[in-house]
Amino acid sequence: MSSLTRILISNGFSDLEKSERFLGFRELSGLDQTWLLQAMKLANDPDLAVQSLVRLLSAVPEAREKLAVLGSAPGEQLPNEALFRLLGASEALAEFLIRHPEHLDVLDVTIAAEPLATPARALRDSLLESVGADPSSDTPVAALKGTEARIALRTRYRRHLAQLAIRDLCAASPEDVMPLVGAELADLAAAALEAALSVARAEIAEQFPPEEVAAIKLAVIGMGKCGARELNYISDVDVIYVIDTAGQEADTEVVGERFEVDEAKAVTIGNALASAISQTIYSPEREPGLWEVDANLRPEGKDGPLVRTLDSFLRYYHRWAHDWEFQALLKARCIAGDAELGERFERGVAPLIWACSERDGFVASVQAMRRRVTSNIRQEEAGRQLKLGKGGLRDVEFSVQLLQLVHAKNDESIRVKSTTGAIAALMKAGFIGRSDAGALDADYRYLRVLEHRIQLVHMRRTHVMPTAPEQLRALASAVAGPLSIKRPSAEALLKDWGKVKREVTALHERIFYRPILATAAHLSAADLALTTDTARARLAALGYRDTVGAQRHIEALTAGVSRRAALQRQLLPVLLGWLADGVDPDAGLLAFRRVSEALGTSHWYLGMLRDHQAAAERLCHVLSSSRLVTDLLVVSPEATAWFGSDKELVPLTFDAQWAEIQSKMSRHPQSGDAIRLIRLIRQREILRIAIADCSGLLTQDQVSAALSDADRAAILGALLVAEAEVYADEPPLARVLVVAMGRQGGREIGYGSDADVLFVHRQIESSEGVFEDGAPASDAATQQARAIVAKLTAMLTQPVRPAIVAERVLSVDADLRPEGKNGPLVRSLDAYREYYARWSSAWEAQALLRARPLAGSDDLAADFVTMANPVRYPTFISESDLREIKRLKARMESERLPRGADPARHVKLGRGGLSDVEWLVQLWQLQHAHDHVGLQTQSTMQALHVARDLGLVEEDDAELLEAAWRLAGKVRNANVIWTGKSSDLLPSARGDLEAVARWCGYEPGNAAAFEEDYLGLTRRARAVFERLFYG
Amino acid sequence: MDRQQEFVLRTIEERDVRFVRLWFTDVVGSLKSVALAPAEVEGAFEEGLGFDGSAIEGLARVFESDMLAQPDPSTFQILPWRGKTEQTSRMFCDILTPDGEPSAADSRNVLKRTLAKAADMGFTCYTHPEIEFYLLKSDKPGPDGIPIPVDQAGYFDHVPGGVAQDFRRTAVTMLEDVGISVEFSHHEGGPGQNEIDLRYADALQTADNIMTFRTVIREVAIQQGTYATFMPKPFSNHPGSGMHTHFSLFEGDTNAFYEPGAEFQLSKTARQFMAGILHHAPEFTAVTNQFVNSYKRLWGGGEAPSYLSWGHNNRSALMRVPLYKPGKGQAARLEYRGIDSAANPYLAFAVLLGAGLKGIEEGYELPPAAVEDIGALSSGERRALGHDPLPSSLHDAIRQMEESELLPEILGEQVFEHFLRNKRAEWQDYRLEVTPFEINRYLGVL
Repeated sequence: MSSLTRILISNGFSDLEKSERFLGFRELSGLDQTWLLQAMKLANDPDLAVQSLVRLLSAVPEAREKLAVLGSAPGEQLPNEALFRLLGASEALAEFLIRHPEHLDVLDVTIAAEPLATPARALRDSLLESVGADPSSDTPVAALKGTEARIALRTRYRRHLAQLAIRDLCAASPEDVMPLVGAELADLAAAALEAALSVARAEIAEQFPPEEVAAIKLAVIGMGKCGARELNYISDVDVIYVIDTAGQEADTEVVGERFEVDEAKAVTIGNALASAISQTIYSPEREPGLWEVDANLRPEGKDGPLVRTLDSFLRYYHRWAHDWEFQALLKARCIAGDAELGERFERGVAPLIWACSERDGFVASVQAMRRRVTSNIRQEEAGRQLKLGKGGLRDVEFSVQLLQLVHAKNDESIRVKSTTGAIAALMKAGFIGRSDAGALDADYRYLRVLEHRIQLVHMRRTHVMPTAPEQLRALASAVAGPLSIKRPSAEALLKDWGKVKREVTALHERIFYRPILATAAHLSAADLALTTDTARARLAALGYRDTVGAQRHIEALTAGVSRRAALQRQLLPVLLGWLADGVDPDAGLLAFRRVSEALGTSHWYLGMLRDHQAAAERLCHVLSSSRLVTDLLVVSPEATAWFGSDKELVPLTFDAQWAEIQSKMSRHPQSGDAIRLIRLIRQREILRIAIADCSGLLTQDQVSAALSDADRAAILGALLVAEAEVYADEPPLARVLVVAMGRQGGREIGYGSDADVLFVHRQIESSEGVFEDGAPASDAATQQARAIVAKLTAMLTQPVRPAIVAERVLSVDADLRPEGKNGPLVRSLDAYREYYARWSSAWEAQALLRARPLAGSDDLAADFVTMANPVRYPTFISESDLREIKRLKARMESERLPRGADPARHVKLGRGGLSDVEWLVQLWQLQHAHDHVGLQTQSTMQALHVARDLGLVEEDDAELLEAAWRLAGKVRNANVIWTGKSSDLLPSARGDLEAVARWCGYEPGNAAAFEEDYLGLTRRARAVFERLFYG
Repeated sequence: MDRQQEFVLRTIEERDVRFVRLWFTDVVGSLKSVALAPAEVEGAFEEGLGFDGSAIEGLARVFESDMLAQPDPSTFQILPWRGKTEQTSRMFCDILTPDGEPSAADSRNVLKRTLAKAADMGFTCYTHPEIEFYLLKSDKPGPDGIPIPVDQAGYFDHVPGGVAQDFRRTAVTMLEDVGISVEFSHHEGGPGQNEIDLRYADALQTADNIMTFRTVIREVAIQQGTYATFMPKPFSNHPGSGMHTHFSLFEGDTNAFYEPGAEFQLSKTARQFMAGILHHAPEFTAVTNQFVNSYKRLWGGGEAPSYLSWGHNNRSALMRVPLYKPGKGQAARLEYRGIDSAANPYLAFAVLLGAGLKGIEEGYELPPAAVEDIGALSSGERRALGHDPLPSSLHDAIRQMEESELLPEILGEQVFEHFLRNKRAEWQDYRLEVTPFEINRYLGVL
């Protein structure tokens, strides 16, 4: 290895071969290599610097004079810091010097550790002079036009940009000088726009009479970062244009000479000026364009007129503007053109901006802002984004703006445009604690410096971290600043950046939520305490309606010296945000308090909240979205542990439940105790299913099946307990079978469904051991079966002691039995057989379609199915039977619907609801199941799919029916989950509708869209039903 | 409280207004009104006025529901016919749900939604209606069962000392007093029939204006001892009362229908817009021609266009491209001649605009222009040229509307349902009626 290579490495070079080659070029001959390499240490990227130096010297030999400056010692030649730092940081600016050697004099500067800003006025004058306009005029008109003007303006702009970059790069601390750089970049952009306006005036003089042009006032309003005076090195400059016709108040005496321009004309001229400005700045020329002048933040976006009068703006903002437009106006500032008009604009819009927290939908738009922060990132860049993404610049800006919007209504001192300025103001006014403000400010500056240095290299608009190690090393050196003695390293840079990202994320929570707590709970003295009103304003901005109540809950949760209180003081800031994402934050917070109090000091609970973020987030989400779960959790708080484990949230299989029930029964021979335990197991399983459902772990079908299993286990348990109790007093004469009917039969139930059943019994073999099938059951056996059934029903529904709090009692409904309410509650299998053979109507065959043995002896179950199959899957069904079924359905539609219910909103019996789809499918089953075994199923969806495959229904129609059926089922479940009560109606109150919509997977704020979708979907499903069912 | 609301409150104070009427419209276009004392207006601005919202569902309402009426201060207007002392004023209302959301059942909101959709596509919509109506001696028919018109004049006739002329002068003055600009007024084809053209304005304002217009015309007629009717076809043998409406779309300041040099100076946007309307016209006819009587006008001959067709200055076509006047690019527009004077203007405009926008969105192809008199073609010729008929009766129109997917999208599921419920009930009532026609034709011979 040559010694040069070693020296290059130690001097920070990466591309050794290339750099060695460049060092050998004749342009560098005659220079002392040691001196040169020493000089290169000034460059953040020595490889880049040496290449740029060779190119510069080859194009502009006289640049050699700029390489060194005289040192303090006689004859001492020091490397020109400005040159080497610039070459090492920006290829784009090096190219500028190569293109325009006449500007090499920017390198003749005295380096200052703490540079001063160039006054905005000086920049404006300089750029105006560059195009030959008179800076002292109020409406300067350029002497140059077209290409000539564009080149002159852009070149002058870049000269100032190079000067600024040199000052930035040589400053002792890049983070300290960052606000100054951002401000000067904004001023420079403003100056360029001013000069471009003077050029525009000159250019349009060809189209419009000069007195008309002179009569138009035009103000350029800077928005975004330019408005806030914190611009990047390269960025679109967001502007809007305001015009006014001049001379309204002036010249009233000389009426004859006063020149009036009507509004339409003014708009035409204004448009011409605005587009000429954009051309001057950005259109292709020999000297490349500066940046895009982006006017899309104007009213109506890119469809709106490019310029408007002040009145037109104010009218628009008063009447039409969206919430985000006011947030955008937060940064609006007049940057060029008529200052007086610009000031009137700022004065006019100011009250609108700060009143925006009182506007309807403010909370919703804040929530939307919060979501936007994390969305919209390209996946491949997600980890490298400086601006978007968690802990990025946008997060800082959001935190700051949110606090401004919430509090600035009452406190004018925080109405500050720039981010760094706003942080300082918020701290001074007591809205952010001193140490938090310091950290936030430092993080923001750090991220901005990173962004500046990345952009400076190619003057490209990017917010993405580079990936190559050598680029990262150069960046590390650039960010550290000239005084750093640490060796720049890519790893250290990424580590630092990661730390800042984490801190920014945490700071948002600390800054916004933590002070809310501080008013209630007395935290350490270092924490900032907000006034009560201020804290309430923040809670209201999050979506808490009862802010007084919320404060009370927070106080209760955080008061005291217990470990729980201490931990909750830590956690609550985050939890408050999660609870606020739910439908009803107030109820969520109350529920959290109740659960928390119930769990007391259980160590696992605190541990889970502390260590298991996903679980805590899930808990908050459920608490603020489900009354059902909350009610159950409060009585069995230990279930809270499940939130921490997906394994616990897998519904227990029927067998597992049954095993548990059996063991309970064996240990608790008292039937009262046993049945209580059985019912508790069912309640526990429902809670488990509901939590899993809320957490998105189960599909709709899985939920239905799991709920069916829980009910089945309970019924089986009750049956055995009932049998045991009856057999204790008399010899066993009859066995009872419980057959599920209806939705329980199809395992399609929802929360709070009744169990539709049929009771079957069979006489037990007599003591002689002779049992003759077909022989009529004895009266005694029937008596006994009836007693068992009565006990079973009572056990499941009657109060137990101690009472089970918040139980959703399983009511057993046998109304679907033959002859309905008038028939005997329980019949022997033979009696059923006989009944169906003799009397059965088509309706009863239809009811049997979903019959499924649920609990009882296996033999009896098998025999029941053998008996039922020929009835429900008949070889032939007569037209008159079909007609009967159709007519029954029609009658049900007009009679069964509750009085006053809107059929369009009834999910079960209403148009396109559950019953429409189920009857249609059952009609096909009655007709075709005998021939197609696939249709012999209790599941509606399975039968529908088979019917589709058989061609009984078109694919599109089947899809529509399935979608409607599923949505109706979801709404039904959502009603119970949200309110804790069963309801078959699509809610009409907006709050309830919102909750149901979210349950059905809609984004917040889409209740109206969901309602439309539900009504539309069921309307279409009804049309399919009518066509296929009634024919 | 914004500036417009302040302006209203101040005016009420300064002009000593004693009553403020809150106006809104039910799905079939009947004007509803609630009178407020001035002291209650401020509250109504802030919180809205609670009422039984089912009133907007039309006659076939089923369920009571709480709604809020929130006055739109930009529509505040003193009503001149109530005299100069103890003045009465009115504001149009938006209907809100108790949670303050726009009610999906409010027809004004339907139009607002459609206009918002147009705005999202970059368009503002302007309309310009020509409203025909009959001036009768009274609201009761004559002894022969036929209404009695105030005169026997015809198209553009000048009737010296005529009742109609007086009427028009008073009516136009009063319309101007309530801020509605009138472009044109003249005697129409039928005896006692008049036409008044409103100046073009944005679609929502025009719809509000039409509601006001009907009230003003009725009030003036009553003051003069006559009766004005907007019934689509009061006379079997005279032309019906239509509401030909001109539509134009603007993108910013430029008329999106105008393209110099294109056929009839019609831009692609205009062609697609027209194609959309023609494509969907059978589905929305129940809205633009919503009464049993409307179909007597549509199929009663005369100027009423009843076949899907368009033409350049062809008065027999359903849609007409008015003659282009050189240098008037901003005035480019399309005229739909199917609407009748009794339509709910909010819904009628919404469905027409919605259908037109659909045409633009989907890039519909426009069939060729009709050049001959479509009424004079044989039915075979019409079939060959693709001029399908509009629905022939209310029943037919209801059936076609029921099949539509576009209409529930434009109207919203709830208005769609309420509207159909009303119209089915109307058809049901009509079917029960034994008409004079049947008596005259059958009684003597059967």
